Amino acid sequence: MMEMFKGRNIRPWRFLVQIGAVLFIIGQSYGLPPFGTYPIFRRIFLPNASCRYINDAPTSCYYYQVQDGFTTGFATNYVDVAIMLAVVVLLIILLGRFWCSWLCPFGLVQEGFEKLRELLGIPRYRLKWKQRILLRRVKYTIIFLTVLISIPIGISALGLTSCQSTFALPFCQVCPAKGFFLITQQIFGAEPWSNKLPLIAIASLVVFSVSAFFLPMAFCRICPMGGLMALFGRTSLPLLKKDPDKCTKCRICARVCPLDHDRVYEDMEKDDVGGEDCTLCGKCVEYCPEEGCLSINYGPFTLTSSKRPRTRNTFLGRFRKGGGDT
Amino acid sequence: MKEKRTSRYLKDKDGYFSEEQIDRTKKRSREMEEASRTRLTSQKVRAKTLTYFDEIMKYDGARSQELSDFQGKGGKIIGTMCVMVPLELINASGAKNVRLCSGYYEPVHPANELLGDAGLCPMVKSTLGSKMVNANPITNNINMVVGPATCDGKMKLAEILEDWVPVVMMNIPRVKIGETSSDIWVKEIEYLSRKLEEVTGKRISKRALVNEIKKWNRGHELWSKMLDIRRSKRPTISGQDAMLVVQASQMDDIERWNKKTSQLISELQDMQKKGMIAGEDGAARILLAGSPMMYPNFKIPAIVEESGGTIVHDELCSGFRLMSDPVMLDGITRKGIMRGLAERYFFPCTCPCFSPNDERIRRIKESIEAFGIEGVVFHTLRGCHLSNIEATKIELELRDIGIPMVKLESEYDEGDIEQVRTRVEAFIEMIKARRENEGI
Repeated sequence: MMEMFKGRNIRPWRFLVQIGAVLFIIGQSYGLPPFGTYPIFRRIFLPNASCRYINDAPTSCYYYQVQDGFTTGFATNYVDVAIMLAVVVLLIILLGRFWCSWLCPFGLVQEGFEKLRELLGIPRYRLKWKQRILLRRVKYTIIFLTVLISIPIGISALGLTSCQSTFALPFCQVCPAKGFFLITQQIFGAEPWSNKLPLIAIASLVVFSVSAFFLPMAFCRICPMGGLMALFGRTSLPLLKKDPDKCTKCRICARVCPLDHDRVYEDMEKDDVGGEDCTLCGKCVEYCPEEGCLSINYGPFTLTSSKRPRTRNTFLGRFRKGGGDT
Repeated sequence: MKEKRTSRYLKDKDGYFSEEQIDRTKKRSREMEEASRTRLTSQKVRAKTLTYFDEIMKYDGARSQELSDFQGKGGKIIGTMCVMVPLELINASGAKNVRLCSGYYEPVHPANELLGDAGLCPMVKSTLGSKMVNANPITNNINMVVGPATCDGKMKLAEILEDWVPVVMMNIPRVKIGETSSDIWVKEIEYLSRKLEEVTGKRISKRALVNEIKKWNRGHELWSKMLDIRRSKRPTISGQDAMLVVQASQMDDIERWNKKTSQLISELQDMQKKGMIAGEDGAARILLAGSPMMYPNFKIPAIVEESGGTIVHDELCSGFRLMSDPVMLDGITRKGIMRGLAERYFFPCTCPCFSPNDERIRRIKESIEAFGIEGVVFHTLRGCHLSNIEATKIELELRDIGIPMVKLESEYDEGDIEQVRTRVEAFIEMIKARRENEGI
């Protein structure tokens, strides 16, 4: 039904990659074959929400390791943290925000919520401009607060080490991914059933579910991992590009964007229109009706670019009204 | 529906114009349309399928009969005034759409009688006049008029038309500031859909809306194929014919228009394979810009193409812009569809009533590159201040990239035809001379 309104079809490919990433990152704890249990992966931490609380996960989000490193790293002069961060930055520069919309398991979960809303025919909630700016700041505030809380706990001279059991991993305590993966693991029997889930995790999971249902990619807007990636948004190799000459300013890109990234629509000078909100999901490229106006590039290479919507002469299409050559 | 009211403007409205005057208006309009049609059909290279579009646009042709039959069966006909009216919505409510903007010269006089010669745009006067004396059979029997408040003339026209036919006016934001204007316009579109439901007594269902959008998107797709033909080195369709075809979409049922246009396109492609070309070989490639030109007011394009130019592209709301953008939907919620519709008819529109309107200049520049344009003919109707002012801006920008532009101001009569011809001939000669100089 919807293919009539698309020029390029990126979504199916993205879905395949996402499924692959999920199988690789969290599959084995849900009883699937262990794709990613090679030791090398236990040393590399990913810049996306692949959760530490999944049993036997080969790797985890780097943010857990950062918090952990800050709380315990005083003794080792933070060398471990620095090395790990360097690796993460390298990964970010290599794959940019493909980590978000193509490889993040939690992103897939949110798109599931979005799909459910679409099937029920409920319109999405649109953030006001002020709210968007606020959420952008929240993202960086979270990073700042995490560091602010983690480091003093690790410094033994301050005598706060006794707080470690409560305040270590401050972000993980409120991260909805923790609640989500713990509960689903229990449901799928990967972990014994227990009712010891902290109240705060349940609360944040509820808040997350409701907001992800009405607001597409709700968590991505405040995700601190995304925040770090946003800092490298323009230096990483994958880029969203626009040919301003071909743009007709029809605002389709701004309307379909799940993250309300409006630079694609606004910017008419620079050709690099990605930025701190863009997760490179390619939805604007799919829907842009101008030939070659928007494109996703990897360094100098163009991976895909927008195309004029065409009626496809499918077998079924002949029986449909309004489409197809007659 | 509103009761028939007495006119505030013309006392004793029904008997105000004498039978003789009404007949004269009708007769002259018919003659004018016939003359325009003969000019079109006498072109040397012309696809056969185009006769269908002639028939649609014909004065008192089969289409007007079809519309009155449709109305006799209880169908509603909605007149639209600008390109910003979402026709998908009208069709989804089961009504048929008709573009009101008139290109007939004669109905200007009855309107002059009402307004005085107010220095007003002749198209507005002609549209009003046609309604006053029921001069145009296609647009006679409309049940409602949808008039976005775009330029001053159109805005007040809609207001005056209230006396003859119910009017829905829509508040179009004249400055495009992202979301704020979008929200206003979406609400106006929702208001229009309520009004349409009121008139037709039929609920606009989501399914019907999506179906109509698909049909119009198909139309957009065909139109862009047509642009490919016009973009090529040897276009097989003249600018006048292309304008006729795209204007027919406003009068015709879109499904049938799609069918005929895809036939036309395959015929044009065949002609291209045979090596045919519309107009002369080595004609100057002209871009037409400025105020709208509604059929049968094809004075200027006819002159351009008779004097050795070919209009390969235009930037008119009576031409290219009618079909230039598709509606892209990412979800099928009712709200989402409405927003998609509203934004398609608002944001890409480069009507000079928007300000700032840099998009227009950029799009003209882009099409100059893409279509290999050698000169721009900028046409303004008398009293079209918005186009007039923009013409200066566009001329300056075009001077920077070395594209000549001629600005023609015209009225709705044949009086200035020789004067325009002289200027256009000189302009095209200049382009050709320039081409030779650059060749050496």
